[in-house]
Amino acid sequence: MNDQPLTIRFWTQAILHLDADAFFASCEQAVHPELKGRPVITGKERGIVAAASYEAKARGVQRGTRLSDVKKICPDAVILPSDYETYSLFSVRMFEILRRFSPDVEEYSIDEAFVDLTGLRRSFHGSYETIAQKMQETVEKELGITVSVGVSLSKVLAKIGSKHTKPHGLTMIPGRDIHLYLGKLPAEKIWGIGPNTAAFLRKFGIITALDFAKRDEEFIKKHLSKPYHEIWHELNGRSVYPVSAESKSSYQSISKTKTFTPPSHDETFIFGQLSKNLESACIKARRHNLAATRLFVFLRTQDFRDTGIGLKLSRPSAYPVDLFESLRNGFQQVYRPRHLYRQTGIVLAGLMPEADIHYTLFDDQTKIEKMSRVYSVIDELSGRYGKYTVFHATSLPTKQQARHEGERGDIPKRTTELLKGENKRQRLGLPMLHIKV
Amino acid sequence: MARRATEEKILSRTKSIAHFYHQKGRMPSFAEIGELIGLRSKNAVHKLVSKLQQNNVLSKDEKGRLIPGSIALPVRVLGTVEAGFPSPAEEELADTLSLDDLLIQNPSATFMLKVSGDSMSGAGILPGDMVIIDKGQEPKSGDIVIAEVDGEWTMKYLKKRGENIILIPANPLYKPIRPKKELKIAGVVTAVVRKYR
Repeated sequence: MNDQPLTIRFWTQAILHLDADAFFASCEQAVHPELKGRPVITGKERGIVAAASYEAKARGVQRGTRLSDVKKICPDAVILPSDYETYSLFSVRMFEILRRFSPDVEEYSIDEAFVDLTGLRRSFHGSYETIAQKMQETVEKELGITVSVGVSLSKVLAKIGSKHTKPHGLTMIPGRDIHLYLGKLPAEKIWGIGPNTAAFLRKFGIITALDFAKRDEEFIKKHLSKPYHEIWHELNGRSVYPVSAESKSSYQSISKTKTFTPPSHDETFIFGQLSKNLESACIKARRHNLAATRLFVFLRTQDFRDTGIGLKLSRPSAYPVDLFESLRNGFQQVYRPRHLYRQTGIVLAGLMPEADIHYTLFDDQTKIEKMSRVYSVIDELSGRYGKYTVFHATSLPTKQQARHEGERGDIPKRTTELLKGENKRQRLGLPMLHIKV
Repeated sequence: MARRATEEKILSRTKSIAHFYHQKGRMPSFAEIGELIGLRSKNAVHKLVSKLQQNNVLSKDEKGRLIPGSIALPVRVLGTVEAGFPSPAEEELADTLSLDDLLIQNPSATFMLKVSGDSMSGAGILPGDMVIIDKGQEPKSGDIVIAEVDGEWTMKYLKKRGENIILIPANPLYKPIRPKKELKIAGVVTAVVRKYR
C-alpha cells in the first residue's frame, strides 16, 4: 500500500490490555505473604502444574509439567491445591478496580481485561501512560498481585504491549513506534495467528509481524480470510475490534472438565464425573437462559490420550435429565474398560437463547414444562443453600472421591478451615489472608 | 436509621417547647418556636405544630394561640410522641447500612484474617477472632496494622515517633518491636468480628 504505513502521530484510540502475572500463583502469594519470592505452583489436585509463579518459571517449571517432574527440577517448590474461589474473588476485584477508571472494561478471561481509555486524558489530567500506571499501581496495591499492561491503538497491538515486558511491565506502543515492536515479533506471536497460518505466511516471505502488517490489502484479501484481514488492520493501528463492556453473557459454548486423583477405571465413577460436569454446565447455561443443541463428551487417560465424541441433541435443552441419554450414549462409545482415566469433560455447544426454542409436534410439552419447573426449584435451592444442594444420583460417586482427596491434602485451606457460620458450600465473599499473627 | 433520626428530631423539639413552657409558665408563640429550634420559616413551624397537635402534645384555642396538652407532663410526652408517628416502614428502611457497608469501606481492597496470637488482647482482639484488613488505606500512627518486620509477620499498633516507627503490642507479655532492617505493611485493621455461636 505504502512504505510507511505504521506511523500514526496521534492517539486515535487508546486501548489498554491488562494481563495478571502468573495469576493463580500470584493470588496464592497474596494470601500467603510468606510465599512471596518462593517458587509456588498450583494444581496439586490435578497432578500437573496449573500455574507457576515467576520464581518457579525461572527454575524451568512450565504449565502442564507433571508434579513428579517438578519435584526433580525444583525440589523446594511449594505445591498447593487450586483454590478457584479465591482466584475468582481476586478476578472480580481486578475488574472492579479497572471500572473505577473507565466504564469500558471487557472481561476477556479470568485474568485478562481490555479497557478503552480513549478520551480519558481530560478527566485524569494526564497522559495515557499516567492513567495506565495509576491503574497498574492500584491493582497491585489493593490486591497484592502484579500485572502487566500494554497500551496502544488497537486490541491486537495492546496485547503485544502487555506481553512485551512481563512481569510488572508497562509498555506503551504509540503510533510512531508500532514498527519498532512489530519488527522484532515473529508472526505466530500475534494474537489470532496460529502455527499453521504462520507457516503459510512464511511461504510468502512473511516472517515478522511487521512483514505481515506491511503487505498490501490486495494480498491479504486474496490469500487470507476475514479474521486475518481484521488483524492486519489492527496491526496497522486501525482499531476494528471494539472493547465490549457487557459482562460475559453471550457464550458460544460452555465447557466443564474435571481431573480426579487417583485415576480410575471404574465405569460408574467415571460416568459420575461426566454427570457432575453436565450438571454444572447446565447450571451455567440456565443462569444465562441458554439451551444447547450439541453435546461433546471426552475422556482423558492417565497417559494423556484423549478420546471424544460430538452428539447432536434431539431438541435444545439445558436440563441434565433431558441430556443423560445422549451423555450415556456418547460415554459408551468412548469408554474403554481397561483404561485408567484421569479427566472427563463435556461441552455444551450450539447454544441458543431459551426463549427462541420452538418445540415440534413430537415433543412432549407437558413433560418439558414439568422439567422446567423441577429445575427452577433446584436452582432456587442452590441460590439459598449453595450449589449442588440437590443433584442427580448419577453424580453421587464424585462425592465419595472428594473425601479421599481431603485425606491427601488436595483441598484448599479455604474449604477446610471454615469460619463459624460458614459451611461447605457457602463461604464469606472475602479472601482470607493466611498469616499467623 | 432514618426513622430514628426523624423521631429523635421531633422528640428534641418537643423537649425544647416543654422546657420553654416550664421556664416561663406560658406557651411560646410561633415566632418563638422558630427561634427555639432554629426554623426560619413560619410554614415549617406550622407543620411541626400541627403534627404535635395531632398527637395531643399541644392544642390551639379558638384564637389560634397554643395551649399545652400532654406537654405539661414531660415524661408522658416522650412516650406519646414515640408511639404516635406512624411511618411507612419501607421508606424508612430505604437508607440503612448493611453490616457489610458498616464494616467494609473499600470492598475491592478488603481481606479477612483469623487471629491466632494474643499480643493484641488489650485492644480486644483475641485468638480466634476475625479481623478485617484494608490494603487500600494509608496506615496512620495509632492504627492497628498487619506488618512484616525483618521477615516476621505481626499485628500491632503502629506508632510514629518522629522519624522512627515502632510496633506496639497490647499485651504486657510482649515487647514493642523496632524494625531493624525492613518493615512492610500489608494492611490496616479496620474492624474485628467475633461470632459466638
